[in-house]
Amino acid sequence: MQDLGVIEQILRNRTGFFTEIKEGVGLHAKLRAMLLSSIAFFALYGAVMGSTHSLWQALSSAAKLPVLFLATLFVCAPTLYFFNVLFGSNQNLTQNVALILTAITVTAVILLSFAPITLFFLLTTSQYQFFKLLNVAIFSVAGVMGVLFLAQGMRIVSAGSDGSERGRRRVLQLWMFLYAFVGSQMAWTIRPFIGAPSIKFELFRQLGGNFYTNIFASLGEVLGFFIVG
Amino acid sequence: MSNQARTTTDQILDLLLEALLERQQARQQPTQAETPPAPPARAIVDEPQILEVEPARATPLEVETAETTAVEEPPLEETLAKTAEPAPVEETLPEEALEETAEPQPDAALSSASPAQPAGAGLGPMLARLFVVLVVLVIIVNIPFNRYGTNLARALPDSAALVIRDGLLLKGSGEEVYVLQDNRLRWITTLDAFTYYGYRWASVHVVEDAFLERFERGLPIHLLLKCRASPHVYALEDGQKRWIKDIPTFETQGYLWEDIKFISCEELRSLPDGLPIPEDAGPPPQP
Repeated sequence: MQDLGVIEQILRNRTGFFTEIKEGVGLHAKLRAMLLSSIAFFALYGAVMGSTHSLWQALSSAAKLPVLFLATLFVCAPTLYFFNVLFGSNQNLTQNVALILTAITVTAVILLSFAPITLFFLLTTSQYQFFKLLNVAIFSVAGVMGVLFLAQGMRIVSAGSDGSERGRRRVLQLWMFLYAFVGSQMAWTIRPFIGAPSIKFELFRQLGGNFYTNIFASLGEVLGFFIVG
Repeated sequence: MSNQARTTTDQILDLLLEALLERQQARQQPTQAETPPAPPARAIVDEPQILEVEPARATPLEVETAETTAVEEPPLEETLAKTAEPAPVEETLPEEALEETAEPQPDAALSSASPAQPAGAGLGPMLARLFVVLVVLVIIVNIPFNRYGTNLARALPDSAALVIRDGLLLKGSGEEVYVLQDNRLRWITTLDAFTYYGYRWASVHVVEDAFLERFERGLPIHLLLKCRASPHVYALEDGQKRWIKDIPTFETQGYLWEDIKFISCEELRSLPDGLPIPEDAGPPPQP
């Protein structure tokens, strides 16, 4: 319950929260709270997504969705840190991780808020491609909101640092693309999260294709251009 | 400092006790006139100020006691609250401890809002409640409710929320599979045609017959067969080859030349003849 207090602080008083990160106030407690909350929220949303296929898929997605975001964080955090240092930032790695974790936590909270909608469509539609695209849209919205929080946090935390502010902003923008790219590829690698209705449950699917071509194919089927196998 | 604080607390408790005793005595007395009817508000407000200075002085306790006899419980509560204020304690704490104590209160705006304004509070509990409700719902939709293991998440019939579009594959209670084209259902006549045109069983939606009745029927989809040594084209239906009389008929049926499947003439000849297209076209020629 105390961990949820951190979320309240992020959502209601983000400036104060980022200032505390900048000053290193209670950093480890914040990290722990954000980590636990986001894992719980991602797991629940993953379970909602996977419920469209089977109980096993629900459990599998509940385990894989937190892994997806945390692994992406693990992969991308050093890049952001070292590039920030290059451009004169005086943050340490823990502060960088705290900022990215803030973005991830915001994403998790927004996903949780979308969970009733996902559950509603899960119960009222059986169109796999539509459900997949719906989730892609929800993840996009949640991801963009998280990234906006990250941008704001970076601005606050790196205020007063040496070096070029513009350079750091550019680094962050590029890093966001990298983060989205790594995240989507990670999601493709450890798929399925929903599970195609015609295919038996499988923990991981064979590699092949990529995230973007699959989304275009799903769009094509939903819009009636062609049929995806 | 702690001894002084304890002394102050003791004094306050003594005062409280005395005030209570005085009050009890006053109530027991038959003449109510001697007891003051209600303490003036000024006395209530002033009282804690005297006690705040109290730790510095030792002697004026007697005087205070005299005053507090006229004062009821509220000032004492206020006094207790005042003495419990962290202001003097904070001075003794190290800076790290101050930071730790300040941590749950992010800034002045939030800290002032959280205890006093209910709007500022409750997001955490609300999230927790939403979480619990969702967990319960996820469990509910995953509980099988019949012996086939069907659960709520997969219980609704497919027609409940189909996206009506060209290429939609539908099947009713019968064996026939239809594809929706130009808002008409076209029967896919053979399994060979089904696979030849690249349809997949995974894409077939089983719906109620009443749902199929909503659509007009279009021309059936045949597998078109031809061998290279013969100019004739045949449509395969129910395991029989149906000769297509001429090109206008071929085009009227909506067939496409690129859909023709080439097989050997022997294989084509081995198929029994069905009715030609159109049916009055006469006896079908052999390939």
